[in-house]
Amino acid sequence: MKNITYNKDFYRALQDIVGERNVSEDPAVTENYRCITAQSSAHYGPYDTRTPKPQAVVLPGSTEEVQQIVRLCNKYKVDFKAASTFWAAMGFIGSDNAIQLDMIRMDNVEIDAKNMIAVCEPFAIGGTVQVEAMKNGLNCNIAGVGCSSSTLAGSAGWVGFGPSSIFMGIASENLLGAEWVLPDGEIIRTGTLGSDGEWFCGEGPGPSPRAIFRGWTGTAGTMGVCTRIAIRLHPWPGPKWIPVRGTAPAYFADGLDNVRAYTVCYPDWDAYAESFRLFYEADICYLAHRQFNMFGRDIKTAMVEIFTHPEKQFCDLPELMEDPYIKEQNEQMKVDVQIVLAGFTERDLDYKEKAFDEILRQVGAHKSEYYLQQDIEDFVKLYLLRLARKNYNYTLCSSYEGNFGLSPNVFVAAPLMEEAAALKREWEQTHTGVAAVGGDSDMGSVSGIGGGGTTGWEFFVHFDGFDKESIYDSCAHIDRTQEWMTEKGLGADFGRWNADVRQPNGYNYTQEQHDSFYSKIPQPALAEYQWKIREAFNPNRLTGSYYKTLTPKEFRDGDNK
Amino acid sequence: MGTKDSLMAIFGRNGVIDDPDILASYAENQSFEPRFAPWFVVKPSDAGKIEKLVKWANKAGTPLVPVSSTGVKLRGDSAPSVPGAVAVDLSGMKKILNVNRQQRMAVVEPGVTYDELNKELAKQNMVIPGSLKPKAGQSVLTDVLEAVPRLNPMMQWNFFDPLRCVEVTWGDGTRMFTGEAAGGPLDLEAQWKKQQWQVQYMGPWMTDYYRLVTQAQGSMGIVTWASLKTAVKPSVHRLYIAAADSLEDLEGFVYKAMWTRFPDELFILNRAQAASLIGKTEEEIKRLKEALPPWIVAVGAAGRELIPEVRFEARSKDLIDIAQVNGLDLKEGIAGLSGRALYEEATSTDDGKVYWKDVYAGGHRDVFFLTQLDRTGEFLRAVREICEDIGYPTEDIGVYIQPRHIGSSYHMEFTFPYDPDSAAEEARLRSLLETVSVAVSDLGGYYSRPYGRWAGIQLNKDAQSLMALKRLKGIFDPNGVMNPGKLAV
Repeated sequence: MKNITYNKDFYRALQDIVGERNVSEDPAVTENYRCITAQSSAHYGPYDTRTPKPQAVVLPGSTEEVQQIVRLCNKYKVDFKAASTFWAAMGFIGSDNAIQLDMIRMDNVEIDAKNMIAVCEPFAIGGTVQVEAMKNGLNCNIAGVGCSSSTLAGSAGWVGFGPSSIFMGIASENLLGAEWVLPDGEIIRTGTLGSDGEWFCGEGPGPSPRAIFRGWTGTAGTMGVCTRIAIRLHPWPGPKWIPVRGTAPAYFADGLDNVRAYTVCYPDWDAYAESFRLFYEADICYLAHRQFNMFGRDIKTAMVEIFTHPEKQFCDLPELMEDPYIKEQNEQMKVDVQIVLAGFTERDLDYKEKAFDEILRQVGAHKSEYYLQQDIEDFVKLYLLRLARKNYNYTLCSSYEGNFGLSPNVFVAAPLMEEAAALKREWEQTHTGVAAVGGDSDMGSVSGIGGGGTTGWEFFVHFDGFDKESIYDSCAHIDRTQEWMTEKGLGADFGRWNADVRQPNGYNYTQEQHDSFYSKIPQPALAEYQWKIREAFNPNRLTGSYYKTLTPKEFRDGDNK
Repeated sequence: MGTKDSLMAIFGRNGVIDDPDILASYAENQSFEPRFAPWFVVKPSDAGKIEKLVKWANKAGTPLVPVSSTGVKLRGDSAPSVPGAVAVDLSGMKKILNVNRQQRMAVVEPGVTYDELNKELAKQNMVIPGSLKPKAGQSVLTDVLEAVPRLNPMMQWNFFDPLRCVEVTWGDGTRMFTGEAAGGPLDLEAQWKKQQWQVQYMGPWMTDYYRLVTQAQGSMGIVTWASLKTAVKPSVHRLYIAAADSLEDLEGFVYKAMWTRFPDELFILNRAQAASLIGKTEEEIKRLKEALPPWIVAVGAAGRELIPEVRFEARSKDLIDIAQVNGLDLKEGIAGLSGRALYEEATSTDDGKVYWKDVYAGGHRDVFFLTQLDRTGEFLRAVREICEDIGYPTEDIGVYIQPRHIGSSYHMEFTFPYDPDSAAEEARLRSLLETVSVAVSDLGGYYSRPYGRWAGIQLNKDAQSLMALKRLKGIFDPNGVMNPGKLAV
């Protein structure tokens, strides 16, 4: 662990940069910038610890202020990390000698409707960007994290796919120009922004420097601070705002006549996989997600009943689960997916409906009658278009964790789905810490890439985040599914995705620990080059261990700091 | 051991070419940059030999210049910019390593041309999204690595689509895969056995390695295969054309059509460029230039395997309606130019003898850059004014505008035909290119692919990007052996 170099001079300098109102080292404030490591998408156990407490929390108001803060951190060798909406542990610091940047003051959104571009500051959340876009007949990809999270963080900081990615692409694909304060305090503006102040292209000139900021994931705050980005917007054929009816929490989209939401019921997983191939080729889906199965095969319809009927409560769940009609719906929807079609003209909608029907015919699938009920369809439209109900992920047991992940190739994943479901079901029946929901609680994006081609799945493991036994049982379950994943040659379980970037105690890994991990991967050059990139752009190593590095062979016995 | 001997140790006695005529042919190109014949030419057949070659080059301090296409070198990026280089001719690496109908993916080596790939893809009813009439010897891999715009921007969710994963030997001699392929063993066969088809191009972690070899002119490493996203071949297709008197007249239609994403292809040509694309002789081109309208926009509608006629009808009627609302008449042909003929020419390769832009005057030079559609008119006016000042005939200027990345940016390309046998014309053209190149940049035109002179112009506008590029070059090619002199780094 690094020595503490944070001191009062440093703090006074922070005050000079952002003003006294925008920086604090009061424990009542800094304690709130610790993340419970059970937070979803952190995916490492043991769930009852927190990330370290920052020495100070600072709220910059401009790129220039961010640059001054980063330069100060370099001068004093103080670690830093910036976050906007703090979805998961990746936004939080990993050492005691660190400050937290909270980007909440930078929340501007500007829309260039003609050229379909939105320029977003860090605290512009997906919901805000979408509202501004829809006023102009446009929409934006909202990542699975939901519309209350930062668009910039999803685009530049982490993965960023969701229900809309099949039509709108994933966050990486939509990222145009970007402004970054590098870890050494220099500012780089990618593509056209750097040379002409225009946002429309983030590539080049020549080989794209953006390569070091955003790969399959973003750098989780380890490559400095991204202060503004432009994203590509996409067409929205609906009204300037989505009319909503209903009583909380049962809200329904109203009057979206050229938008249709369906749930497809498949006879088996082969049909499911084949339909994806056809959806990709036909290019007809506006949104495509396996969504409500996240509650589990045995209870998903009952949960939707509760969400769509304001008089119903969770205590009604056992009774609903015994309802023969609900049971029949669950049985029909064992293998299912939600699809939204949007027509840009009447002919377009007609074509998409026909193509959709033809795909269902070819694979022997049918539309769920339950989801054809007007209220249920309107609930699904609103849910998937806005992705505003992330709280539903937590409603069943107070906490959840994604696991399995299987393969991005649906033709590999689909044949394994029942085996994975059986494994989970067995755990549910023999242990008490994980909710028994029917085994299969798989959910995720039909496409993890624009236009289709890969998928992104996770099984929701519902557990009680306030019960230690439940916490540890869910963790043991994920260990078991990781064993199964390894036996099948499927790589890292989704629940262990980030096991290598932060220690179970919430602190950063050391370089030696990372070396021991990444020297064993199939192509270690991946991690060696990232080491070299870090040395070039982050020479003081101030941003934590989410950046995966392997000391190159030539340095391993030498200058290994 | 001397240089040639040590190279022979890798490539064999007959594998190191030093015939002066052959060496001189590798310096030939259509740029106005200084020409340097390579010291030797080698023709590797596999990545293993390339790995050895790059390691040798690092030890010997010898520059390497990758060459994958055959025929005229249009931009000079694959010609040495320094003396004493070894030209690494990859045009003989012609294996199509894999075609996967289920995933619509193909994996190709650098020497595979469009005709060769499309012939193979056609067996499974697929096609590779192409650029505007590539030369017959054009390497598909180089074309996509260099981000030459595609005729169908709707299939570009990512800026570099259809490029997906690559195998690269970096300038330091390290070989690796990128994207999804980097997550598995360094062995394609082993990955295919596990049904990993090199579809997902990002990362695989936090660094987009493939982005470092795009638009790089071979200055970062040598790519020995690339996986490419293909398309299902249309079973019914029509290219519609609308005429306009001015570029501005097309703007409303193009914006709206791009918004709907209905077009399969969409591109804009002025009459000189359209005439050059269609005409087979100088006379025919002249005749066409007189007959054609000042501007045309070409828009494709297609149906594929799934209810093709329904899709085709819907797309066709909607595009015609959108054109009408925007004051354009979208037709199957205009002024003797049929959409079918235009499509055939745009999507086929040239005859391999005279490059299609050279038919009119014997030679040509291009200036191309990225901008936004609503700014294209400004560039057009500026270039015309410069031509008028310099005395270049404005009616000869060809213009091609191509939306890319689902319309996020627009490739704008000016073509200036000239007689290469006329010293006066060449001198005038040199002056014109310099003035136009600077003026375009001053107006905000973006040389995302900065060939030759444009590298200095572009990178001098953005010191931080240049510094970042130099740092990255220092990591992946620390001894600067990969195509030195390119990109101002």
